[in-house]
Amino acid sequence: MVLYEHGWTGKILRVDLTERKWNVESTSKYADRFIGGIGIGLKILWDEVDPEINSFNPGNKLVFAPGPLTGTLAPGSGRFEIVSKSPRSYPVDTVTRSGMGGFWGPELKYAGYDALIIQGRAENWINLWIHNEKVKFLEAKDYVGNDTYTTQKKLHKELDPEARILCIGPAGENLSRLAVILSETSFVSGKSGFGAVMGSKLLKAIAVRGTKSLKIFNAERMIEISKRVRQLSANNPMREWTSTLMLDSVDRQSFLNKYRKKNIGCFGCHTLCFAHLSVPDAGESQCHCIGYFYYSAATKYYGHTLKRDQAVFDSIVLANKLGLDHYEFYSMIRFLEDLYNSGNIRSQVDLPLDQFGSREFVQKLLENTALRKGIGDLLAEGSARVADQIDNGWSYCSKYFPAYGSAEHESPRNNPGVALLWALDSRDPIIDQHPYARISSTFQKRPFPYSLSPEVAKMMAKKIYGSEKAIDHTTFEKKPEAIIYTQNRSAVINMLVVCDWVYPIVLSYTSGEYGGGDTTLESQLLTATTGHDVTENELNLTGERVWNLSRAIMLREGRTRENDTLNETYFRNYEGEIAIPKEDFEKAKTNYYRLRGWDEAKGWPTSQKLNQLGLSDVADILQKEKLIK
Amino acid sequence: MSINYTELHFRKRKSLSADSKVCAGCRTCEIICSLSHEGSIDIQKSRIIVKSNSFKGSFTPRFCHQCSDFPCFYSCPEAAIHIDPDLGIVLIDEKKCVGCRECEEACPFKIIRYDEQKEKAFKCDFCNGDPKCVRWCPVNALGIIKFGGEI
Repeated sequence: MVLYEHGWTGKILRVDLTERKWNVESTSKYADRFIGGIGIGLKILWDEVDPEINSFNPGNKLVFAPGPLTGTLAPGSGRFEIVSKSPRSYPVDTVTRSGMGGFWGPELKYAGYDALIIQGRAENWINLWIHNEKVKFLEAKDYVGNDTYTTQKKLHKELDPEARILCIGPAGENLSRLAVILSETSFVSGKSGFGAVMGSKLLKAIAVRGTKSLKIFNAERMIEISKRVRQLSANNPMREWTSTLMLDSVDRQSFLNKYRKKNIGCFGCHTLCFAHLSVPDAGESQCHCIGYFYYSAATKYYGHTLKRDQAVFDSIVLANKLGLDHYEFYSMIRFLEDLYNSGNIRSQVDLPLDQFGSREFVQKLLENTALRKGIGDLLAEGSARVADQIDNGWSYCSKYFPAYGSAEHESPRNNPGVALLWALDSRDPIIDQHPYARISSTFQKRPFPYSLSPEVAKMMAKKIYGSEKAIDHTTFEKKPEAIIYTQNRSAVINMLVVCDWVYPIVLSYTSGEYGGGDTTLESQLLTATTGHDVTENELNLTGERVWNLSRAIMLREGRTRENDTLNETYFRNYEGEIAIPKEDFEKAKTNYYRLRGWDEAKGWPTSQKLNQLGLSDVADILQKEKLIK
Repeated sequence: MSINYTELHFRKRKSLSADSKVCAGCRTCEIICSLSHEGSIDIQKSRIIVKSNSFKGSFTPRFCHQCSDFPCFYSCPEAAIHIDPDLGIVLIDEKKCVGCRECEEACPFKIIRYDEQKEKAFKCDFCNGDPKCVRWCPVNALGIIKFGGEI
């Protein structure tokens, strides 16, 4: 029998809120094929959740899944993934993923669990308290309406000051589709509205304290490889809130340098993407570059003044406290501005659009959205659903939301590879597939080391994707190959679970080795941690397996080839000219399905491919349901 | 034979130092410490402990300060605690330790702790003069103070 006792803890905790019961299951039935993280999460959703139900149905389940590398020395291993049916997906709720960094995932591992499954729905508001083997349901009547910071501080007093806590704010309680699950000040699972799923289950918070040891198969080897990772991934520009992807990098950096007390890291990571900021007369808190959504709007209103910075800082902290997703608002405020300027909506007490860019405006916007007050009741549904309700809504909304109701992130407009990534996922793909976007965005000129020179980028593309064409923005040639690699590798890091800002190391910012990464490091780390010999190719194959499983779930939910597309606007450049011809796009999709071994006409996995990947159980069910031949 | 431990030790006396203003709270020091000493990730057995309050952004590492008055050394009834004249630090000899927990009681920083499985006390051994926590700290919040003036 294969043992899963190094890296894995071997146990999964299942908590039923309806029955107020819990039990422990074995990891071994998932670990060989799906490793952990989204692998385990998607398999549980595939096995146990009816594809017909919506995300707020008590039959929906939330799977919180770290992986075998979570909580180890491997840099960037503070993460875990959440998999569930998402209320954020547009036009219908679909199964998707959303991860979180910080310290909660490692704490769950130290409490002795590889995953936590939450099912059912509580009768009254409750908090869950997991202390090693002990699991307790605590009344949370006194916590209803509390913001995320207050909730955690109260729980620290009530339970254990060392506990790591996941919680939702008022937005999650009020089932806003923009609600996040938050830990500490700004570690957030934001993209998929899972805060509202937690809210629908009347679960306010999950506190965990773990004091057990986590076995490592070969400690010396793990130290050695982690050192190499540290060396190759040093100088990551994320520490300065800049990268090739951010157009306003220079502004971000000056804001950061003015108010930064220090950098903050997730568990065991040297990248330190978070910063502790202190802004005069606004307070201090920990922030991440994603929180920086109000900068340009506030600059228009206040100019480059302290008032602007206070408004920006306020918006970051307020959204965290209310439990709202920053990223959506980055695009939503532009969408609302357009609607206001075109006369489709009017300024009102709930939403003073005539003061757009002010501190008061953003406070009202966030508070009313979280509390569903006035027009906030509509905004809480997310921009895509707002556009459905308002005349001409989509002619503006489609400028900022490429697909599936997710806000723009690394625009697909002029970048065929990124366009394919967007079209073939179930939410914003870039957030866990940064490496491709980084390499292919060389057109943005930033000083070294924040941007790659085109020569280095081409060299990298050739090494990783097999051709320089993979990042050529004028053609779809070699794009399907690059996208398949990117998706499989993103599934891999989401199974282990490690951060995509570190892995796969496709490029190194370290001088001397600039450009030269090492993509075998994840497999080496997994081997050292678990004692199971794994090669890079085997890991890629596991990634492919999970991506196929994810597609099988989509198929059951009714997704077909026609749905794999972008909003109309995104086929054009900013001047309105066609940038991505539809025929080429469709041809590239056909190529993608063919290379995936899927049905080209429908974009569905075939039983042959599923069997080949060791998913014959999945193929059997799809055949029985007469979905594939 | 009596050795004047204090005199020998003071020439090379050193200790860890930490700047909590800089500490990023990433806990790398705790992970590398437990992994290199225990061969597993066991934060409870890390010889350095970081107390976190992310709301205030305050992270305070707690570690053995190599006290100049040696409360642990004097508390040990079995002479299992000695002062290494070469390294200039206080060490516990596991072979001699009987697990009476007197040193745990005596430690003013509560950083000497007791391993329930081994039934022995444990503390920072300075990794033979090259502390791994200092090496791995990504922000140089940890360092070494050379009290003895050694260069």
